[in-house]
Amino acid sequence: MQAKLVVQGLTHHYPDEYTGEDVHALDNVSLEVEDGIFAAVVGPSGCGKTTLLNILAGLLPYREGHVKVDGVDVHGPGPDRGVVFQEHAILPWRSVARNIGHGLEIQGVPADERQRKVAEFVELVGLGGFEDRYPHELSGGMKQRVSLARTLCSNPIVMLMDEPFAAVDAQTRITLQEELNRIAIATRKTILFITHNVDEAAFLGDKCFIFTRRPGKLKATVKINIPRDRRIWKDLINDSEFTNHRDEILTLVREEVSTLGDD
Amino acid sequence: MATTSPSLAPSRVVPSRRWRRFTKEGGAEILLLIVGLLLVWSIISSIIPNPSRYLPAPLVVFFSSGELIWKGLFPNYVGQTLYRLILGSILGLGVGIPFGVLLGLNRTVSDMFYPIMNFFQSISGIAILPIIVVWWGNSEKTVFTVILYTALFPIAFNVLSGVRSVPRIYVNAMRTLGASNYCIVRDVILPGALPYIATGARLGIGFAWRAVIAGEMLTGRRGLGWWIFTAQDTDHTDQVILGMLMIGCIWILLDRYALRPIEADTIQRWGLVQR
Repeated sequence: MQAKLVVQGLTHHYPDEYTGEDVHALDNVSLEVEDGIFAAVVGPSGCGKTTLLNILAGLLPYREGHVKVDGVDVHGPGPDRGVVFQEHAILPWRSVARNIGHGLEIQGVPADERQRKVAEFVELVGLGGFEDRYPHELSGGMKQRVSLARTLCSNPIVMLMDEPFAAVDAQTRITLQEELNRIAIATRKTILFITHNVDEAAFLGDKCFIFTRRPGKLKATVKINIPRDRRIWKDLINDSEFTNHRDEILTLVREEVSTLGDD
Repeated sequence: MATTSPSLAPSRVVPSRRWRRFTKEGGAEILLLIVGLLLVWSIISSIIPNPSRYLPAPLVVFFSSGELIWKGLFPNYVGQTLYRLILGSILGLGVGIPFGVLLGLNRTVSDMFYPIMNFFQSISGIAILPIIVVWWGNSEKTVFTVILYTALFPIAFNVLSGVRSVPRIYVNAMRTLGASNYCIVRDVILPGALPYIATGARLGIGFAWRAVIAGEMLTGRRGLGWWIFTAQDTDHTDQVILGMLMIGCIWILLDRYALRPIEADTIQRWGLVQR
């Protein structure tokens, strides 16, 4: 069966915003994410993870290589790829419900069907009772739940997540990771999740892509076969299968950080 | 004293809730200042020679002009001026907002227009009035042109900054949801720029208010400006002052009860402006 997301020989350069120097962000990256698989991309900061996500999202044009979603070449953004951003990208002037239903509104889904869908995803992400609140009244974690629900509501083929929990506190992050796992079980979405947090990658990923430092290359792929319903922090924290995988990833990532030297 | 039984003590005046709110908002200080200014004004009027020509006392202004107000002549002029202001402001917003959005969205367009706009911004509405009078005479069209010209720049410049202030991430998020450019402008750019649009509108309408008065004076169209001018011609200083007071008071009322609430109702609810 063909993978939902295919990246082949992707290479990307861009001029630095301030110095104008050429930045070689990605070098011949090839990877595949099969249907219903949760893939985590881990690497040191500045390894081109966000560049990769922006290309997959269609926000950044690419020249060398191929990107295919469900067998179709990616050119420009589209609702087949839902994105959850690192920063709060929900609109402050829309209530929670209207933010979540925005994608459907854009697609021209009738109001009654939209309402039904929104209610469904409000429940799924645990925002019941907050439908009429505005983003500035919500905590950072709740805002990311809104963002997640908005993306899910449009029913994309692939979900792209760019360090969505990087800006929330440690306790909230653990809760959100468990919730995301639960949502992944419930929706069976194909997900590409970008993070620099090794624990997070090992906890969530069926497959972890480890990137080298810049120019970002795919260094290794680690498969993690822990069933999704067993992925609860309380249980996994001392589970040898989990810790082995995590240490393996950690070693791979740290090699990259240490070779940075006195950079 | 403190032990005096309540029945013997004079009943204390309990300030009403309305009064307490008034004083809390600094109303008492403002009232005091106004009374003080009126007092100074009265004193000056009482010591200068020929006050009825140079500076009639506040009470004189009030009483001598009262008659005109009841007769309906004065409200008629105020109405004329307000009508021009409102229609002119709608024109200014109608042209200024789309223009500002266009400039904010497109660097090439803004780089092209910016120097020209900066040039014209320095030429006040009064300075362009003569040429407009040459074109269209002392007509209503002339007055509206000057109002539009005056209101346009503060509105367009503010909308331009507002559009540029909208975080890029909102636009990117909308694009990944499959939004068209029209949809992005409607759902992201315009609401995101609203605090700036509100500021631009307040400034623009404020400038327009001055332009109306000046336009009326110079074109001789009936209204508050014309009123002040003719009163000066006929040596009615009290009426000149009444006209000036009206200009200030109407603006305060407009700003407080029409322009500010719009800002408060939408923008503060969204958490875009914290007070």
